[in-house]
Amino acid sequence: MSTIRLIAGNDIKRQFAQPFAWILLALTSALLAWQFLIALDAYLRLAPKLDALPNSQGATDLIAIPLLRSLSGLLLLVVPLATMQSLAGERRAHTLPLLLAAGVGNLGIVLGKFLGAFVPVALIVLIAASMPLMLEFGTALDLGRLAAASLGVLLFAASLTAIGIACSAWTAHPALAAAAALVLGSLLAMIDMGARFQGIDNALINWLSLSTHLEPFYSGLVASVDIVYFLLVSVLALLLAARRLDSLRTRG
Amino acid sequence: MNDSSPALSLARVSRRLSGRAIIEDLDLDLERGEVLGLLGINGAGKSTTLRMISGMLAPSSGTVKLGGEDLYENPQRARRDIGYLPEEPPLYGELDVEEYLTFCARLHGVAGAAISAAVEKAIERCELGEMRHRLTSLLSKGFRQRVGLAQAIVHEPALIVLDEPASGLDPIQALRLRELVRTLGQDHAVVLSTHVLSDVLACCDRVAILHQGRLRHSAVLAEIAADSALRVHIERDVDKDAWLRMPMVASAQVIDSRRWRIGLKPGASTGELARAVNDSGFGLLELRADSNALEETFVRIAGHGSIGAAA
Repeated sequence: MSTIRLIAGNDIKRQFAQPFAWILLALTSALLAWQFLIALDAYLRLAPKLDALPNSQGATDLIAIPLLRSLSGLLLLVVPLATMQSLAGERRAHTLPLLLAAGVGNLGIVLGKFLGAFVPVALIVLIAASMPLMLEFGTALDLGRLAAASLGVLLFAASLTAIGIACSAWTAHPALAAAAALVLGSLLAMIDMGARFQGIDNALINWLSLSTHLEPFYSGLVASVDIVYFLLVSVLALLLAARRLDSLRTRG
Repeated sequence: MNDSSPALSLARVSRRLSGRAIIEDLDLDLERGEVLGLLGINGAGKSTTLRMISGMLAPSSGTVKLGGEDLYENPQRARRDIGYLPEEPPLYGELDVEEYLTFCARLHGVAGAAISAAVEKAIERCELGEMRHRLTSLLSKGFRQRVGLAQAIVHEPALIVLDEPASGLDPIQALRLRELVRTLGQDHAVVLSTHVLSDVLACCDRVAILHQGRLRHSAVLAEIAADSALRVHIERDVDKDAWLRMPMVASAQVIDSRRWRIGLKPGASTGELARAVNDSGFGLLELRADSNALEETFVRIAGHGSIGAAA
C-alpha cells in the first residue's frame, strides 16, 4: 500500500510541477465558476416568482444539480487530459522500467497511477461541489441530495479515470491515449442515446451507459446497483491496464 | 540472504516469446565483488537476460536466485537487493536530482530515517554534488547517466544491473563511468551488458558471451588472455617453423618481422614459453598477453552466425 501511495504521490508532485495541471485546474474552475454565477444570477431573478409557486424548485435544483451535470460533461474532456501522461508518458520518457524493476506488481503500479490521476480530478469535483455549498449561508439547500450528486459525479470521474489509465497503458503516445479515452468515455456515457431517440428501450444498452447510473444520484438516490456498476467499470479498466503492463514487461 | 550462496545464480533459465526461444538454458553465477560483462551482438538476448535478472520479467522456465532465494517467489527482494540502470536512464524530468533520488530510495524500500543519508552517499559516489538541485531534464548526457547510476545504488543493493551504461557518452565521460563501475564492483555484484569490448576489458572480471539466446562462452578475463595468445617481440628474424618446433606452441602468426602472435597448447604456461625463447637465442624483448584475445573469441562466436544470418 505504501508503494501505491508513493507512486501516486510522485505523480501528483510531478503533475503540479508543470504548468499544464495548474492551467487545466484553473480553466476548469473558471468555467464552472462562470456557469455557477450565471445560474445564480438567473436564480436571483426568478426567486421572487418561485416563492409564489407551490412546490417550487430551489437552489439545489436550479443551481447545484445543473452545475454538477455540466461538470460530468466537462469531465469527459478533462479526465483524458489528466490521465494521458500517466503510463504513456512513462513509456515515452523511458521511466517505466524504474517501476517495473522495483518489485512492485503490475496492479500496484496501475493503482498508484490511478490514484495519482484521480486525486486532481477529485479536486475539481470538490471545487465544483463547494460552489453551491456556499449558498447554504443565504438559502436552504438539500444537502443530502447535493452529497448524493457529488458522490455520483466522483464515481463517474473514477470510472473515466480508470478508462483513461487503461488507454494510457495501451500506447506510448499521450495524445493518442487522450483521444482514445475521450472516445471510449463518451461512447460509454452516450451509448443509450441513440436507442432512446429511436424509442427503443433496450435494457442492456441502458444498463451499459454511464449516464443511466449517474442519473439517480442527481435525484438523491444512492443505489448499490449504481455504485457497483461504477466500481465494475473501474476495476475492469484497471485490470486491462495491468494486463497491458504484463505484456510490456515481456516485450520491453 | 544466505552468505554462502552466490549473489546471483541463474539455473537453466529460458524465456520464450510468441513460441520463439529468446533465451535458452542459461546458467550463470556471480559473486559479490565481481563485475560480469554480458557481451553479445544486437538481438543476442542481452536485454531479455537483464530484464530477468532485474526482476522485471519472469523466466518461462528455470530459476533466478538472489543470495540463494528465488527472485520470482519473493519479488520484493528485487526492490531491496537489485539496482537496475536501463539503457536509457529512467529520469523524471520534473524533479531535481535530490528529489528524484529520494523517490528512488523510497521506491526501493529504504527506511524513512535512512533516506537522507542514502541519497547523500549516492550523490557523493556519483559526484553529483553540484547538480543536486538541478532538474534532471536539464542535465547533460554524462550527468544523466550518473544520476541513473545513482538511482541504481541508492539503496545499496547486493546486485547492480547495468544495460549499456557507457552508450552515447564521450570518451572522457565513458572513462569516468568505467572507473565508477570498477569501484562499485568492489562492494557489489555487477552485471554489465554491452557490445563494446573495451568496456568489458576496462571494467569486468568475467565475461559471458551470449549468441542467439544461448550462453556460448563464459570465462575469467585474465584466463582468456592467458589461454588464448601472447604477443612476443624478439631481436632476431625467425621463421614460423622455429616457433612450431617449441613443444608448448600451438600456433604462430607473424605480425611484422620481429613481432609474433603465439598460441600456447592447453596446459602450457607463459613462463615455459619465455624460457624456450631465451634458450633458442631469439633475444626476448617483450612478452605480454594479447589484448585482442577477447575480440577474437567474440568474433569467432558471434561474427560467423551474424554474417550468416545477414547473408
